[in-house]
Parts: sequence; C-alpha cells; structure tokens
Amino acid sequence: MTAPLVFYPLAVLILLVSIMVVSARSAIVSALFLVLDLFLLACVYASLDAHFVAAIQLLVYAGAILVLFLFVIMLLNVDPETSKRRVRLPETLTLLVALGVFGLIGSQLLPEQLDSVAQVSALDTTQTSNTTAVGMLLFTSYLWPFELASFLILLAMVASVVIAKRPRKSDTR
Amino acid sequence: MSAEHYYCLAILMFLCGTAGLLLRKNIIIVLMAIELMLNSVNLVFVAAAREFNNLDGQVMVFFVITIAACEAAVGLAMVIALFRKFGTLQSEFYRLLRG
Repeated sequence: MTAPLVFYPLAVLILLVSIMVVSARSAIVSALFLVLDLFLLACVYASLDAHFVAAIQLLVYAGAILVLFLFVIMLLNVDPETSKRRVRLPETLTLLVALGVFGLIGSQLLPEQLDSVAQVSALDTTQTSNTTAVGMLLFTSYLWPFELASFLILLAMVASVVIAKRPRKSDTR
Repeated sequence: MSAEHYYCLAILMFLCGTAGLLLRKNIIIVLMAIELMLNSVNLVFVAAAREFNNLDGQVMVFFVITIAACEAAVGLAMVIALFRKFGTLQSEFYRLLRG
C-alpha cells in the first residue's frame, strides 16, 4: 500500500475538492473542481499500482466526460453571475505555468533519455505489467461483458441524439 | 496504509456526492454529484483489488467508467431537452408531473 505521506495529503485534498464540487455556486466552477478531483483520484489509483485504471480515469473521465459537461454548460449559458466576477490569472503566472509544463514534457524528450525510455518500455512488454494483466482478463473471462459494453455505448449514443435533438414541426409538443 | 483508510475516504466522498444529489437544485451539479458517487465506488474497487491481490476489481472499474460515460451522455441530453422545454436548470421549476 501507499506511504502515509502520499495518502493523507491526497485524501484531505480529495475531500476538500469533493465538498467544493457539490457546494460551488456556479456549475462551471463545480465542473472544474470535478476535473481536479478526478486527477487526484488518478494519483491515488497510480499509488495503488492500478496504472491502467489511472490512465483511463484521466482519458475517459477527465478527458471525455468532463469536456461533455463543460460543453453542455457553455451551450446552455445560464450562469451570468459567474462571468461578471471572473478571476483572471496574471499573464506572468500563466506564462510560468505554460513554461513549466513545456519544460516537464521537454525534459522527458531529451535525446539522451530516449534510449532509457525505450529500454523501460521494452522491459514492460516482457514482464507482465498491470495493463497487460487487465487486458488479458478483459479479453478472456470478461469478453462478453466487454462486447455488451460496446453495444451499451452505441445505444447511449443513439439515445442521447434522439433525446437532445430539436423536436420537429410536425410533432405536437 | 491499510485498505480501511481507502474505504473511509470512499465513504466520505460518497457522502459528499449524496449531499450534493439531495441538496442542490441545479441539475448539472446533481449529475456531477452522481459522478462523484460513482468515483467513490471505483476507489473501493481499486483498493479491494489491491487488498485481495485480484485484478477483477480493476476490470469492474473499467465497466463502471463505461456506464458512467453512457449515463453522462444520456443525462446531459436530457438536461438539454429540459432546458429547451422549461428554460431553466433549476429543478424546482420542473413541474410536469405536479398537475
């Protein structure tokens, strides 16, 4: 299990952010806190050696579902009071954050480190990593639930299009 | 850290989600509270998978995330339809069944 030094700050942050999600006044602030909550939960999953779950938490939840939420909030545009008291970050702080992210990514892509990255990934494919093990399980004993899940996604896509489309003129609503 | 710590964290998160579900009027925030509850259940699955050294819990998290994506898509479509019909997101104004 994780070290307490990692767990307790993450747990306190997750609880505070969860309270902020349900108590924020405007929906968009709530959605942004939910993004932060999902990131912190992905950190907890990674500390529990569930790397595959941490990755799909970031990709599917923070990447797809939250973008859908933000898109609907902006589409409906019903929060006039938040646009008035919007807090803008100073440009220098924004620039610092952008440069920090750039440096973090760039430091991983330096030429002398590419070899070690290649070695690590080569090692991972030979050993049974968490992703490999979950993938094996998903395509052997959970094959039928997996296929049903794809059908469920198709069904949900069709249903959401049907529900959200504009009613036709001929419909008596 | 024992698994009970993770269970406690998940219970507290679930309580946050339940409070939001019951107390908030904005239906988008209600949907986000449901996402919070689903996430706390995922945390229990991952912690239990770690405790029992069994990967089935992580596969369950995969399916929970799939169903959460479907639920969010259909729920937000219903939000759009409700907003078109009533012009508001506050759930106390939805009175189709109240006569």
